[in-house]
Amino acid sequence: MIKISNLEKFYRTEEVETIALNKLSMEVATGEFVAIMGPSGCGKSTLLNILGMLDDPDAGSYVFNEIEVAHFNERKRADLRKHNIGFVFQSFNLIDELTVFENVELPLIYTGVAASERVKRVEEVLDKMQIMHRRNHYPQQLSGGQQQRVAIARAVVNKPKLILADEPTGNLDSSNGNDVMELLTDLNEQGTTIIMVTHSEHDARYSHRIIRLLDGQTVMENIMV
Amino acid sequence: MFKNYLKTAWRNLINTKFYSALNIVGLTIGLAVGMLILIWVQDELSYDRFHSKGDNIYKVNASIGTGASKQVWGGVPGPVAAFALKEVPGVVSAVRVVTSYDYSVFRYKDKLLKEDFGKASYVDDAFFTMFDFKLLKGNVKTPFPNDQSIVITESTAKRYFGNEDPIGKILTGDSKDPYTVSGVLADFPANSSIGGDILFSMNVKKKQYTGKDFWKSMDQDWGNYYTTTFLKVRPDASTKAIADKLTEIHMKNQPGIKPTDGVFQLQALKDIHLYNPDGTSAGIQIVKIFSIVAVLILLIACINYINLSTARSMLRSKEVSVRKIIGAERSQLFMQFIIETVLCFLIALVLAFLLIYAVMPVYNSISGKQMHFDLFNANVWQVIVLTIIATLVASSIYPAMLLSSFKPINALKGKVAGAGNATFRKVLVVCQFAFSVGLIIGTLIINKQLQYIHSIQLGYDKEHVFSLPMRAMQDHYEAIKAELLSHTEIKGVSTGNTSVIIGNGSTSDTDWDGKASDVSLLISPFDMDKDFIGMFKLKFAAGTGFTGVKSDSAHYILNETAVKLAGIKDPIGKRFKLHNTDGTIIGVVKDFHFASLKQTIEPAIFSYRPSSWQMFVKTTGKDAPAAIKLVEKYWKQYNANFPYEYSFLDDAYNEMYKSEQHTSTLFNMFAGIAIFISCLGLFGLATYTAQIKVKEIGIRKVLGASVGDITTMLSRDFLLLVLLAIVIASPIAWYAMNKWLMDYAYRAEIHWWLIAVAGGGAVIIAFATISFQAVKAALANPVKSLRSE
Repeated sequence: MIKISNLEKFYRTEEVETIALNKLSMEVATGEFVAIMGPSGCGKSTLLNILGMLDDPDAGSYVFNEIEVAHFNERKRADLRKHNIGFVFQSFNLIDELTVFENVELPLIYTGVAASERVKRVEEVLDKMQIMHRRNHYPQQLSGGQQQRVAIARAVVNKPKLILADEPTGNLDSSNGNDVMELLTDLNEQGTTIIMVTHSEHDARYSHRIIRLLDGQTVMENIMV
Repeated sequence: MFKNYLKTAWRNLINTKFYSALNIVGLTIGLAVGMLILIWVQDELSYDRFHSKGDNIYKVNASIGTGASKQVWGGVPGPVAAFALKEVPGVVSAVRVVTSYDYSVFRYKDKLLKEDFGKASYVDDAFFTMFDFKLLKGNVKTPFPNDQSIVITESTAKRYFGNEDPIGKILTGDSKDPYTVSGVLADFPANSSIGGDILFSMNVKKKQYTGKDFWKSMDQDWGNYYTTTFLKVRPDASTKAIADKLTEIHMKNQPGIKPTDGVFQLQALKDIHLYNPDGTSAGIQIVKIFSIVAVLILLIACINYINLSTARSMLRSKEVSVRKIIGAERSQLFMQFIIETVLCFLIALVLAFLLIYAVMPVYNSISGKQMHFDLFNANVWQVIVLTIIATLVASSIYPAMLLSSFKPINALKGKVAGAGNATFRKVLVVCQFAFSVGLIIGTLIINKQLQYIHSIQLGYDKEHVFSLPMRAMQDHYEAIKAELLSHTEIKGVSTGNTSVIIGNGSTSDTDWDGKASDVSLLISPFDMDKDFIGMFKLKFAAGTGFTGVKSDSAHYILNETAVKLAGIKDPIGKRFKLHNTDGTIIGVVKDFHFASLKQTIEPAIFSYRPSSWQMFVKTTGKDAPAAIKLVEKYWKQYNANFPYEYSFLDDAYNEMYKSEQHTSTLFNMFAGIAIFISCLGLFGLATYTAQIKVKEIGIRKVLGASVGDITTMLSRDFLLLVLLAIVIASPIAWYAMNKWLMDYAYRAEIHWWLIAVAGGGAVIIAFATISFQAVKAALANPVKSLRSE
């Protein structure tokens, strides 16, 4: 599904140039669950942003579903993204002004799904995440674990082929964290490809494969059994 | 989708009550005041535009003299209309309007009502067909079946006859002359330059020419410029050709007249309200200034909105990026923010409507108009739509573009390119305060000029003088005067045909020894008794005044300007002829202001008349009530049929500057509102700055900064902007106000300290606004603010 080769990304301030990704190459197959690990500043988040088409690389190639997207403009990337990729963040990133239902509904609105169909699909996914009873609450009224479940619901409501999770359990206690990992595992088992950035060895064990990064390069790959 | 936008917009509005309130209050006041001013402007521009044939109607003006003595007069001689119709190609019809001063009261049965001076006119029959004034009852073709017919307005009819049918009813003028009502005219619109209550047939005026005077008939009187003459011309006619032809006819018909004496000019009907006959501003300047003020106030309100929404965009960046990540396109986000602005505007608009309705009565009384804010009126909607579209576009696009342009990944991390674009906001704050400072300077200068007008040496003393028409008292003037003067409450009594405050028309009917062939003099005649000059404390430059001897009837006194413009050397003892009376100049009075200070002093001539229709009584402030009572005794004795009427010259004088007073009051308000809205914005920005600097303030306090240090730190940047605004606004306002002052012949000096006062005021107000927030932030417990990070 994903094939990147010799990917490079630099960050420049007025005086310093930092290399975030240094000729990085890797592949992720459809249906895989991959964890990306490494110390702070190793380029994990940069990689995730490029994979999620939120950012563009400075050099190298990125083939997504057999399409070269490294040089896509923002509009094309946005279009590809909204139909194929769901995001889950450490800090949930729910919109405070919208209720649980409305937050989950939002991606469907942007992809132009009809209203009746939207209700059906949102209810379906809320049910699956077991937060149906909270559908009319605002994010501030929910616990961290509930918020992350809403965020996951929002990420999957469009039935994306790929889910990118950036430390999805970072703001949660271990019990809620485990719940979230179970959810992601379920999704993966139903066919969704998952790439997850994490600091937690525990969480990484839910994946099929761990890619370890250091200074913007792959240093090791562990295949989980 | 739309529902989602609206929902988010509404919740955002509710969640940030403080900023929403600032935004909405600023917009509401800005929109309301902007629209109020534009309604005023529209009212001014609507004058005399409701006539269906208005584009082809012109007023004839007379330009008299050349060079320095050139004057353009709004009245023309009586024959102009008749000749225009008969001999000038292109003229379709002609109408004369002459104000009638014949009667001041009318009686119907037992009802005796006073009519205001100047509200009655003689008109030609064509008045009812040339203009669109609606004759509700009566015949447009023969409005005056005979010379004893009158046409009255609907409200006048109501006053005299209540609900009875006015047609055929008899109104008796000054208890002696009966007139039969032959027509009822719909009241003149408030935005008509032509107005009044009672119309007489022009034949009545014509009959006042007895054939014994110098001018035998109205249609031969080329010497007196007293008729307001309107011509309707063919659409293809050249106004220049018509005016030239009229001048040519004048030359042919009045012996001894040359083109240098004067020419006729045509002025479009729709221009007569805003332009003087000579083309200078009679209000168009104020209309322009007010239009600018309206735009400035709306801009200030828009800037507030833009500044607050972009400043706060940082807080929205997370939301924007999340929306982008989950699939929002830029155009969708753009629409979302536009809708937020629209929502804010709609709320402000509804509130503005309510505000306008609420203040309309006060606004009318301040502006001296009768304007209506009627949401079913198409003209009102013109103003509304124009205002809304302009302000909405101005204030929605930039914030929407900025907010929708955030790069999601940066925005999520709080790195927002545009939000850091404080330079743009600073420019806007400078603009805002430049507008405000400009308005403050304008206000100060207008007030200064009005003060100056009130303090100027008018050249006469009008204090505590009241005037009244004498009527039957005129025949007993000397006796009444002697008796009145025996009372200590009365300091002087005099008579004259006009007061010193305002002259009474002009005539070119003059001749004098050594009159150059190319000189023509338009002069204001004053009739007076021997005590007039002394009572009003006019000063002599040469010669003496009237003494009451018989030969005084052949004596003239000129003012300095008349002597100068006529070019008379050593005037005392020289011959001077006014109308058909030859006489000798016995004195020259120093110039005095007998017209609005907008005009320079014009030539004046005094003639001796031992008794005139008007009496002047001088008293003191303390004795005024007693003096009024004393005079009333004689009034009741001789004028029992008339209600007692008197007026103080001070009031008449103030009346001349009423429009300036209105302008000044309005300007004061507008400037106040402008600075208020600017301060709302500044207050919002200061609050926001204090919020985002909470951590910095905490650290500084921990390191030992005092409350004063913090306040200074937070205020300095804003005050620098206000200072910059002052530097930019001062010269522009100075220049603009100098142009406004050019309307006045006598102008107050603009001192540099006026600018300093305006600037100082702005700084103080701005500082008060900012320091409230700054001190509050500085007083906050640093531990708390650091922890909240």
